[in-house]
Amino acid sequence: MSKIDIHHLTKKQRKQMHGWLRAIIQLLYFLFLPSAYTAAFAGVKYIFTQLGAGEKIGLTSFVSVLIVLCLYTIVFGRFFCGFACAFGSFGDAVHFVYVWICKKIKKKPVKLPETVTSKLSMVKYVVLAVIVLLCFKGVYSQTQGYSPWDVFSMMHAFNFKLGGYLLGVVLLVLIMVGMAVQERFFCRFLCPMGAVFSLLPMLPFFTLKREREQCIKGCSACTKQCPSDIGLPEAGSLDVSGDCFQCQKCIDTCPRMNIHCGLPGLKGNEVVLTIIRALILLGLFIWLGI
Amino acid sequence: MKTFWVRAVNLVLIVALLIGYNTVLTLRDKDDQIAKLTADLESANLYKQSVMQSQEDAAGGSYEDGIWKGEAQGFGGAIQVEVTVEGGSITDISIVSAEKEDGAYLSMAEDIIPTIIDAQSADVDTISGATFSSTGIKNAVAQALEEAAK
Repeated sequence: MSKIDIHHLTKKQRKQMHGWLRAIIQLLYFLFLPSAYTAAFAGVKYIFTQLGAGEKIGLTSFVSVLIVLCLYTIVFGRFFCGFACAFGSFGDAVHFVYVWICKKIKKKPVKLPETVTSKLSMVKYVVLAVIVLLCFKGVYSQTQGYSPWDVFSMMHAFNFKLGGYLLGVVLLVLIMVGMAVQERFFCRFLCPMGAVFSLLPMLPFFTLKREREQCIKGCSACTKQCPSDIGLPEAGSLDVSGDCFQCQKCIDTCPRMNIHCGLPGLKGNEVVLTIIRALILLGLFIWLGI
Repeated sequence: MKTFWVRAVNLVLIVALLIGYNTVLTLRDKDDQIAKLTADLESANLYKQSVMQSQEDAAGGSYEDGIWKGEAQGFGGAIQVEVTVEGGSITDISIVSAEKEDGAYLSMAEDIIPTIIDAQSADVDTISGATFSSTGIKNAVAQALEEAAK
């Protein structure tokens, strides 16, 4: 077997390697640990249901998943969103297939203009507020069958008894259309759990920054590559880009290699570092018994 | 720079509020418990009688002694349970297998077991948030109890 020297790869090879690594980690989490995102959000719903009913908030399994995932995100950024969330990975796959088909039939993929996407980013907070309010009022259970997540989880578990889930199915199909057109459509615009994550005070260890002074004038390669159109903050600042899913594509895209995380000497997308982060998350899931 | 600290302060406030809320409720619970224990003590004789009565009822009870098995559909697959009936009443319910259920959901759904034992019937409310898994447990117990019914 020929050994690949990962220290002397071309830029393109390095980019491909990081892309493959991410895809493999996403696939493994999708196959074996697909329920963490709904469990964590069930924790949010549970807390507000209990508050509305005047009941005590127990440390249930849902609440533990919520707390652990929030702590993980505060330390490591939204690595869970970018690498381990089954619904996010599903969206990446849908988008990949759409772009691939467009390439085959030589049509330009449809893209949403930035003025629209920046406004749509606020919708997830509305989604979160509405769900939380329904839980607080104690009427959330009446909306059974509306959630596209339920439909997705049921299909993932090969449970196709979707009677009574018509609205959920319709919503899921509409979301899939959006996922195709815009990378991370659901995560960025609609995900109520993402709304919670995006408001967390992420520590400056793994959040990505750029050396602004060294940037090529007028270059915005990173922002164009970013599924959330983020203009990265200046290195050394504590600014938080709440919508960054840690997809790490910007790091390899920058022509000057200007983008890096907050840890000294590291870019943030080193293969070993990514595997360590994925394994820590895996360890936490096993510990939680998901 | 500012956003980070605003977020950090908000998070600390939310966590503090929730912990405060829980503490207040715990204190109230304790007061309630003291009141309830006092009331129980006062009606000790009455209580004893009613217990003996219910034991007689149970002995004559609705279920046949033994360990009964039941199975029903959960979220991703079948859930198998074993229901132990002693002296005519349900004393224990254990989940034999639930391979296709997610851990976090299943452990939430298991909260339905004490409710079923208290009610001595599978006709109880399901656990919200873990509807599928708890319905599976409930139906599996119902199936076991059908066999145990005299």
